[in-house]
Amino acid sequence: MGDPLTQVNALATSEAPNKEISTGAKVLAWMADNGIFVLTAVLIAVAVIGVEGFASLQNIADVFHRAAPIGIVAVGMTFVVISGNYLDLSVVAQVATSAVILIAVSNEYGYIPAILAAMLAAAVFGIVNGVAVGYFKANAVIVTLSTTYIGLGLLRFFSGGSIFFGPYESPLASFGAGKLGPVPYSAIVLVIMTILLSLLLTRTNFGFTVRSFGVNERATRLGGTNTGLVIIGAFLVTAFSAMIAGFVLAAFSNTAVSAMSTGYDFRALAAIIVGGTSVFGGKGSVPRTLLGVVFVSVLTNVLVLLNISFGYQQMALGFLIAAAVSIDALARRAGKK
Amino acid sequence: MALLAAVLIGVLLTEQTVFTAYSVTLGRVALVGLVALGLTVVILMGELDLSVASTLALAGVVTASIPDLGLGILAGLAVGVVVGVVNAFLVAVIGINSFIATLGMLFFLRGLALVISNEAPIKLNNVEAGIAFGQPLIGPITPRILVFILVFIGLQIFIARIRVGREFLAVGGNRQAARDAGIPVKRRIFTGFIISGVVAAGAGVMNTLERTAADPIAGSTVLLASFAAAIIGGNYLKGGRGSVVGTLIGAASLGIIQVALTLAAVQVPIQQIFIGLLLLVAVTTDPNNLRAVISSIRTLRTGRGKVAEPSVATNRSTSS
Repeated sequence: MGDPLTQVNALATSEAPNKEISTGAKVLAWMADNGIFVLTAVLIAVAVIGVEGFASLQNIADVFHRAAPIGIVAVGMTFVVISGNYLDLSVVAQVATSAVILIAVSNEYGYIPAILAAMLAAAVFGIVNGVAVGYFKANAVIVTLSTTYIGLGLLRFFSGGSIFFGPYESPLASFGAGKLGPVPYSAIVLVIMTILLSLLLTRTNFGFTVRSFGVNERATRLGGTNTGLVIIGAFLVTAFSAMIAGFVLAAFSNTAVSAMSTGYDFRALAAIIVGGTSVFGGKGSVPRTLLGVVFVSVLTNVLVLLNISFGYQQMALGFLIAAAVSIDALARRAGKK
Repeated sequence: MALLAAVLIGVLLTEQTVFTAYSVTLGRVALVGLVALGLTVVILMGELDLSVASTLALAGVVTASIPDLGLGILAGLAVGVVVGVVNAFLVAVIGINSFIATLGMLFFLRGLALVISNEAPIKLNNVEAGIAFGQPLIGPITPRILVFILVFIGLQIFIARIRVGREFLAVGGNRQAARDAGIPVKRRIFTGFIISGVVAAGAGVMNTLERTAADPIAGSTVLLASFAAAIIGGNYLKGGRGSVVGTLIGAASLGIIQVALTLAAVQVPIQQIFIGLLLLVAVTTDPNNLRAVISSIRTLRTGRGKVAEPSVATNRSTSS
């Protein structure tokens, strides 16, 4: 743990005010930090032993394949959450926009212009969100809500709400169905994104500032950092991840439609929270979000294999969020006493 | 608010039908507006309630799945009370950020609505009563509009005139000061979430009655629209500033704009873009935000060229 910010966090939550901390508080703090590792291990163990059809290579590859788009959105959105800005609702519009642009533009002009156009769209999303939140100090939830309306509106206007199909046997389609050994390409993209973004968050000045901004916004600003730029950066990272998620999603079925990413906003946030990244900002990591994604996906897979209906799956997800955050909140309080 | 006035004057000049066909407009406003009114009470305290949309769906499903209509309506409203209590418990007692607590409830309640309804719309048993509920009582006033007006008047009196209601603003303005002044903050948070839960449940019950069926995924668009209404109406999201009248104006203007755009044959996507832009302008031109922009421009001018990294490091180690 050579990372100074982690040390500050550890100091703030567990060791700072009083030397005498009850065992209950210690257990809670440990649960808040490490509960997800235990839960994931237990869940996987139970699934391997008790659930028929889980422990096949085919099924596990399938879990990762399905988890990839939402996972890529979630690892990117971790930046916005850690910077203390709750979430980016507009990922719904961003993912759909990038998927539609990729297929619609590549059908006419080829892949390079399509990717450039999608990058341009992602940059616009990131900059508009970032400027409104970072410089105008507007609430991130409402800003990204309005950019969702605007983005989806523009997308539906230009696409006419229709479904776009890629050409049969295109490079995109073969990427969507492709595998390296047993591992689907989409899962590899998810892992690469996790590694890159994790390095960005922990090894660069930018990542350091994002985290310190989440810990103490005022101190970061007084320290001479241009906080507005940092927020724009965080939203840009989210926007470019959402763009890549859109590419992966488009490759799955070789089609794109404006309604294809409904629910990605809150589902990605759920994975981030379950992974243990704090919504108060400052605390959390990209690999934790990946773990949250894995946990939620494995849980969904297990419930599907056990023939448990979608309603119960949603209930389980809601309960998990409340439980994860309750433990975090109780640990904070116990640590303060 | 000046923005709203400009838009409304524009509407008045170009599409007068909106106001002559006010029954249509009122009906459009009532559902989203009702949810937004309940939400306002929570926002005034500086909290959020994302679970309103799922509460609406669940209350509707519960109402429709009980054969006796009277009991069903009561049970539907009771759903709102229970949801409010659970939300407030998570926020006030356990101490979770209300945004995340109610996000969990959003998933949980939607799941519960799907489970109870077996993932399919439920038909209302007493269809006649449902149809009767949709009929106008006096002039264009249907029961739904009447309920909307009554809830508005009730909440307005509660927040502006009654002491408990006024204390909501104090809780949102400065929680510590409110506590020091002897306001039972936790109890107020409970009251606020129960109000928003019951109002959302009431909207769900009415929705079910009017459509004579309950859809477990009803209200998915209501959440964002009711938020938009409260924000455009000038309610400050960090609490302590805003009013029920503001929300009414916000909801009414959104409704009027939507109806006007529809009458002017503007496509739905363009309507979305328009509302999104309106919301973005409303939230960025808040006086407090503008002050922040001016000060950050000033810092940019004076603070340019400083080296960020070492000073950040010293700050951090001293502040912790």
